[in-house]
Amino acid sequence: MNPQSLDQPWGRGFRVEHRHAFADGATLPAATFLPRGLGRSYGDVCLNDGGTLLHTFRRDRLLAFDEASGVLHCESGATLADIAQVMLPRGWFLPVVPGTRYVTVGGAIANDVHGKNHHIAGTFGRFVDAITLMRSDRAAPLELTATDPAFATTIAGLGLSGLMLDVRLRLMRVPGPGIEQETHRFGGRDGSGIDDNLELDADSSGWAYTVGWIDTLDRGLRGVFFRGRHAEGPASWFAPQPSRLTLPIDAPPWLLGHGSAKAFNALYYHLQSRRKPQRKQVPIWPFFFPLDAIGGWNRAYGRRGFIQYQFVVPTTAARETVPRILAHLRDAGVASYLAVIKTFGEIASPGILSFPMAGTTVALDIPAPDARDLSALDRADAMVADAGGRVYPAKDARMSPAMFRRFYPRWHELEAARDPAISSSFWRRVTARA
Amino acid sequence: MSEHPPPSRTRPIVVVGATSAVAQAAIRLWAGRGATLMLIGRNGAALEPIAADARVRGAGDVTVHAGELTDLAFIEACCTELTPAIALVAHGSLTDSSRAEASAAYLDDELRLNFVSTAQWMQRLALACERGGGGTVVALSSVAGDRGRGSNHAYGAAKAGLTAFCSGLRARMAARGVHVLTVKPGFIDSPMTAHITKKGALWATPERIAEGTLNAIDRRRNVVYLPGFWALIMLVIKHVPERVFKRLKF
Repeated sequence: MNPQSLDQPWGRGFRVEHRHAFADGATLPAATFLPRGLGRSYGDVCLNDGGTLLHTFRRDRLLAFDEASGVLHCESGATLADIAQVMLPRGWFLPVVPGTRYVTVGGAIANDVHGKNHHIAGTFGRFVDAITLMRSDRAAPLELTATDPAFATTIAGLGLSGLMLDVRLRLMRVPGPGIEQETHRFGGRDGSGIDDNLELDADSSGWAYTVGWIDTLDRGLRGVFFRGRHAEGPASWFAPQPSRLTLPIDAPPWLLGHGSAKAFNALYYHLQSRRKPQRKQVPIWPFFFPLDAIGGWNRAYGRRGFIQYQFVVPTTAARETVPRILAHLRDAGVASYLAVIKTFGEIASPGILSFPMAGTTVALDIPAPDARDLSALDRADAMVADAGGRVYPAKDARMSPAMFRRFYPRWHELEAARDPAISSSFWRRVTARA
Repeated sequence: MSEHPPPSRTRPIVVVGATSAVAQAAIRLWAGRGATLMLIGRNGAALEPIAADARVRGAGDVTVHAGELTDLAFIEACCTELTPAIALVAHGSLTDSSRAEASAAYLDDELRLNFVSTAQWMQRLALACERGGGGTVVALSSVAGDRGRGSNHAYGAAKAGLTAFCSGLRARMAARGVHVLTVKPGFIDSPMTAHITKKGALWATPERIAEGTLNAIDRRRNVVYLPGFWALIMLVIKHVPERVFKRLKF
């Protein structure tokens, strides 16, 4: 799987200049570089404007698998798609998966990704046993384990602490390639969506995966709650269906306005949900990776691209703050399709700059943000910070340095641990002097 | 989708130049089918992770043989005992035409690697297949061998030689149970072409080339262009009159 464009992030919208090099595991580029996987980050954490991108997506070998412990030793460019497809027929699956399987293990560690099972599993970084890290200022690669201080700045370290060569990752046993899935409608009365969602969530013990889709343009914050757990399934479910649909062109701008988003959300709500809860067995692939079935789905947002805004606020503040932030964005006229809501659990990450915290997270796609949208998001940042929450760097292309430092007060520890030869557009932006 | 015949467990699949991007992609596909693999390449340290990867993906026995691919003694040593079911010769180097113009030694080395050694491997491996009772030998040639271009005259010439050698070898081995397949890929997005960052619709991934190669082996094709549209492009290119062609800058 090749990256879509090497000089753009997944959210598109802008393009920068890079030199390109392939990681060979033996030498590092002479100039300032940034390790890069499949470039699925939405914003500028996967860019290094004016510098070198050191591509790892062909260092993707699976080196050994221990059937007894479930530990997979692989190169950092191995993709979750590949690992899942090789291991699922043997009864193993990744312990944490984000919304796309087209990410590398290195990228999943660097952004310490989370999934629909965060409430019981925590982040991806919790399942990493060891990392071999190559640094420009060290002659030999470092072998990091959970007790090393450098481990805490490599998990969620945005790729800045060195080039990850290979990784030992603990996989999880699953009964088969199926998911038992339930869907519930919620909300629809004035502002009740958040409460209903939290209630469904609290009621979901025994379900490994929970996530909600909410219509942020609806005052009642209506939505659809999904929960799932691993199940058996026919052998034909071991491999994903090849993606039949590829978006060949950019969507035209008129399709991306506020009105279209509203119509789309209403349509989705009525298509996806029945009044009564639904239960069915589905293959693992569409449950976790619905958008992977459409090649280049980011083109649906047109040439001007989109940004994603994902924030989390702590449990105690969630019930009051989340509706307030969403109402603020709605009143400011920020259009959003397919917002996702999820309750994070208590399990701490080994990474000091990890995004998740116990509380409620919401992710919104915002097509072609204009100046008005951006200032509305700046205001939302302040509301998130005041509630003690934070915004997700993997999806960001706009937060201010001041906000970044409020969200991640330990950022200077990563700066201190950063490989002097590594930098990214994101890091230069958020650490710039105000 | 075509039926995959189960690969023979006792007779291995041999891959020469196993570190090349297309070879690695093909090795993964064969490993997934449970094949026994023998991986040959210049750099032993680079071969080990490829062998490990093949084992994790389900290959049977995987062995690694490192040596100079242009060394006749090494070629002989690898091929004498061997009776492969399938052999893929995938090594090569994208010759820099300007450097080949400036340095006679470089031009000589490149022709030796891209033509002389690939022909030697194809010849020995075809005989090894015959000894085992038949099989398929595959050469990774190139569309560049269909016509010499100013920008890659040395590379194109070596590939043209390899293509011609394979067509003759195919005729020699046809009645002896050995099938010879010539694969002509177009532009491949791989470390060999990493310096070219502006890649358009003509570029294909090594995975796609590997898949096409395995399909062509299963279907006992003789010559395949991969992806298939290159057959049309090369048909046109081959028919441009030389007096026009020599003025084209590409």
